[in-house]
Amino acid sequence: MHPEPVIATPGHVAACLNDTVIQKSGPLWQCRVLVVDDDELVRRQLEHLLRLAGYDVQAAGSGEEALRILGAMSCQIVLTDWQMADMDGLTLCRNVRLKDDEGYVYVLMLTVRNTKRDILVGLAAGADDYIVKGVPSEEILARMEVGRRITQLESSLRASNQENGRLSVTDPLTGAHNRRYLMRNLPRELERARRYDHPLAILSCDIDRFKRVNDRFGHEAGDETLQAFVIRSASCLREATDWIVRSGGEEFVLVLPETTLEGANCVAKKVRQVLAAEPIGTSAGPLFVTVSIGVTAVETADELASVSVVELLRAADRCLYVSKNLGRDRVTAASASCASA
Amino acid sequence: MKTPKSWQDGSQAPITSEDPFEELRDAFFARLRSDRVRLTTFAAALAHTEGDPACTFEDIQLFAHRLRGGAAIFETPEVGIAANALEQAAAAASVAHADRSDASVWTALENLLELLQPNGS
Repeated sequence: MHPEPVIATPGHVAACLNDTVIQKSGPLWQCRVLVVDDDELVRRQLEHLLRLAGYDVQAAGSGEEALRILGAMSCQIVLTDWQMADMDGLTLCRNVRLKDDEGYVYVLMLTVRNTKRDILVGLAAGADDYIVKGVPSEEILARMEVGRRITQLESSLRASNQENGRLSVTDPLTGAHNRRYLMRNLPRELERARRYDHPLAILSCDIDRFKRVNDRFGHEAGDETLQAFVIRSASCLREATDWIVRSGGEEFVLVLPETTLEGANCVAKKVRQVLAAEPIGTSAGPLFVTVSIGVTAVETADELASVSVVELLRAADRCLYVSKNLGRDRVTAASASCASA
Repeated sequence: MKTPKSWQDGSQAPITSEDPFEELRDAFFARLRSDRVRLTTFAAALAHTEGDPACTFEDIQLFAHRLRGGAAIFETPEVGIAANALEQAAAAASVAHADRSDASVWTALENLLELLQPNGS
């Protein structure tokens, strides 16, 4: 006599859920599951089970259909049969692992194949877990919960890494890029300019008499001045291509790809004007601030071939010193080859 | 036993329940009846068809595998055990290029047919 079969009813599933950590860990993290099985009834049974457990469920009747769905939307968990007509679960697993997806896809293989060798082959193909069909619904849900936890953890780690990566190249005070970003990305910009034979310009900016701002009005006013400079100069740049770096205390470098010396000179004049036009509202009251700017660019084939990143920065700094020496609040421009000479 | 009766009573199970699990279970039991018809077709093919029997063994193996998977999910272990026996026997017969009268296949096939018989023994 076989034991009375346990059929998964809503009440039964609710009881399962009470026994798992799903309800203990609060609301479900939005988790999409792709159920892959070529047996429609099995597929629908699993869909109902998982929907009742709070998962967002998609379904596919073959490995190929599963790959199409995975190409169109992100799924955190794939619950797949092994033996299917066109593409089997092993091939699907391997394809999932080859995909360069942003998030990790947790793969559970659910199959009647139950030998030790089967399990090893399934895991070697890229499955994260292996369930033999016939286990109670509670076990399927418990193992799904493991997958949900792992993908949630992976997602939060990935977000955290991205944020750390962003912070490592960002000046926390102004939100501009920092020197690390400059030294990582200016060589790339120069290389791109060389490859496509396009001009590249940079502006070296220094806020005039900034030490006096700090000394007279306090560091808070100084910080507000730096923030205002970034906001105002950004309004003169192309959002998609140009970028700002805080390279030192009150020093900034503005990088303008695809820009000639003449074009960069115009931008520099705008930056100077927009800063000088209105006082900066600070906690110490409105402050009139000016900026000195040095402009340089590589335009000719000779310049593009011969000028290095260091020489480019040095050329902009030389122009900046000229602006300072001529009385500040002005723009000096020279091609990289001339400024370096 | 509640579950075997559902497919052995010979009636078409109405799929009208509001419980999706019950509907699916009823649909599975209804399918078991058509699966039995399919198995009798396989038996007839084994008994009469000329040509390479390996194709038939492979067909039986795939069919039994699907039956076994469904039985596991819908928790009808006796069907799963019988389907597994047929799958293994058909696989072995296919690999060994066995004759159509292969005893293991016939025994497993007859066992499964008997198990799925309406108003079962």
